[in-house]
Amino acid sequence: MQWLVALEAENNPIVLGRLLNAFRRKGVVINTLTLGTRKAEMTVMALVESPEESVEHVFHFLRRMVGVREVTYYRHESTGRASFVFIETDNHSPVTKILADFPLSKLIFASQGRYLIEIGEMRDSAGRKALHSEAGLLPFARIGTTSNTAGIANLHDV
Amino acid sequence: MDLSNGSEILIESLLQQNVKVLFGVPGGVLLSFYDALYKGKLPHLLVRHEQAAAFAADGYARVTGQPGVCVGTSGPGATNLITGLASAFMDSIPVVAITGQVSADMIGKDAFQEGDTIGISMPATKYSFVVRSAAEIPIVIRQAFHIAVSGRPGPVLVDLPKSVLVERAQTDFSFDPPSDLPERRGEWLDADIECAAEMIVKSRRAVFYVGGGVIASEAAKELRELAELTEIPVTTTLMGLGAFPSRHSLSLGMLGMHGSYATNQSICHADLLVAIGARFDDRVTGRVRDFASRAKKIQIDVDPSEVNKNVRVDVPLVGDAREILSALIEETRAQARREKGISVAKRQEWLRQIETWRLEYPLTYDREAECVKPQYLVEAISEQADEDAIVSVDVGQHQMWTAQFYRFSQPRTWLSSSGLGSMGYGFPAAMGAQVAFPDRQVIAIVGDGGFQMTLPDLATVSENGIPVKIVVVNNRSLGMVRQWQHMFFENHYCDVNLGRVPDFKKLAEAYGIRGAKVECRADLKEALIDFLGDREPQLLDVSVDPYENVFPIVPPGASLAEMLTGPLVVEEK
Repeated sequence: MQWLVALEAENNPIVLGRLLNAFRRKGVVINTLTLGTRKAEMTVMALVESPEESVEHVFHFLRRMVGVREVTYYRHESTGRASFVFIETDNHSPVTKILADFPLSKLIFASQGRYLIEIGEMRDSAGRKALHSEAGLLPFARIGTTSNTAGIANLHDV
Repeated sequence: MDLSNGSEILIESLLQQNVKVLFGVPGGVLLSFYDALYKGKLPHLLVRHEQAAAFAADGYARVTGQPGVCVGTSGPGATNLITGLASAFMDSIPVVAITGQVSADMIGKDAFQEGDTIGISMPATKYSFVVRSAAEIPIVIRQAFHIAVSGRPGPVLVDLPKSVLVERAQTDFSFDPPSDLPERRGEWLDADIECAAEMIVKSRRAVFYVGGGVIASEAAKELRELAELTEIPVTTTLMGLGAFPSRHSLSLGMLGMHGSYATNQSICHADLLVAIGARFDDRVTGRVRDFASRAKKIQIDVDPSEVNKNVRVDVPLVGDAREILSALIEETRAQARREKGISVAKRQEWLRQIETWRLEYPLTYDREAECVKPQYLVEAISEQADEDAIVSVDVGQHQMWTAQFYRFSQPRTWLSSSGLGSMGYGFPAAMGAQVAFPDRQVIAIVGDGGFQMTLPDLATVSENGIPVKIVVVNNRSLGMVRQWQHMFFENHYCDVNLGRVPDFKKLAEAYGIRGAKVECRADLKEALIDFLGDREPQLLDVSVDPYENVFPIVPPGASLAEMLTGPLVVEEK
């Protein structure tokens, strides 16, 4: 199953090494991975694949790793319930178009040609469906996240 | 200004964490550290191989609940620690490993005795640190110890370049604990506790399935209280031995691959399974889809990633086992009051059924044999040993016989490399336990195969007068491998016969330790009385039946219901 994991962690190569090792050990296939760093923090956005029954386990495994501050995971969702889209593109125009067409949408992540956009409230499910069927867009539903204010302790199922 | 060097700061930092002893071997990059140790503020036990240092630290941690600390130099010193750290990681044991590293400016240049310790240790530790300056040593050590014991405990490695150990710096120990450490807090809600308590109260055929998490969270008292309150029987994993008294009427002993018939049957027929600090590993579950398939399941674990990992559960309770058990006791009492008591009658029916299974296929062996049956040896040790004796084992048949036949009465008295299953663990782990409790009886029950991996440390116990009692269960082979080749590989015995096994008595004597040998059953009890009767290190080499196998056994890939109870038991029946 394809899923998307976004996490914030301490900016430390040991933490990053351990994360990638965790992906390897848990049999998570990385399709795309984007890494961003700030002074004390790094962000990782990875489009990955793993057996459906192991996704929840991997999420919990990641969120309890030392140095990981926040983890959110999104499941590929082809129905109209998906409220996020992932775009990999060489130009900004599809992103600009979505943000213009859906005024309540928010850009969650943008780096190296990869974007995650929250579409927001839409009364018109047909419009959302049409959006999801556009080529190059991968629709996702957010399944679980942790709070970044209290380490891994506050888990919210979304 | 009076500045200390990194090595002195390291020792001060370890003392601040209440470290009482280090287990290690010195080496080139650690010379300044050992020079600081020379001043005598922190005892250090010189072992003969770094793997023994890691296992000794593990043994120390298991019996005290405090992190054990091991030390190795850069390169081979650090790599030799890895097996011990991997074992501690699998069993969630708090160990802190201090490793030397080449000077910071030499890292990455393939210097003499340089090894990528961090890279190598990543999958074998809960976390690992590289220290970049002497000034940061106190905070890193503080973090390392905190991580080792917090939430699900585990080993942490701190790699210190030589340049950091000699650097002079001013230090400040008055820091606040860092806020971003992975403290686990309970993620359970009162409603979850109510739901779990209701399931417990309403169940008719419940079983508590208890792992090492109960020992790690010091929850044995609460477990016993809840078991007695509800009259629910308790089975333990290999890691959970000691969490519940073996002689208690509600004790089912160990479950799984070498669990008793009654215990595994109770799992197969249970309507409720309450897993407490246990991770549903393959040696417990057998064929996983058939494991406790009739039971609703509650899982209590501090690690959220253990929930639903191998077996789906109905009610997960993520948090500290002791806190959750306390809440469950309170809620179960309240619900029982409302229900006008827990129906003892329905529980008695279940307990009677288990007793029937126990009588049908008891854990037994040929009690009339003239040779020493290994199970008889373990029973005899169990009878002779002190009530609070600590027992450490290697890995293999003797480990399973000890788990089946030794009677444990309290937690933190059983040392076993359970998850990694590392031979060569038993003797050094016993050394670590004995250093923690010099006045208690510590017995290493080891096989002749595993013990031969650790022989050099006979010098360590001899020189330091560490009164470990070593029982060699000598069947002159790698018995468990032989058993599997016999049972599942058509008697294709390949490299399991150990051939010229040394004369362990003479070997012990060569190291300055008293040794004795037993070859027939009639001599055993007297030899054990002598063996356990003093406070000196001793070795007892016991020749046991080399053809004895461990039964019952759940064949690989089979379910618990398909266990083989063994030829002897079937004949008796």
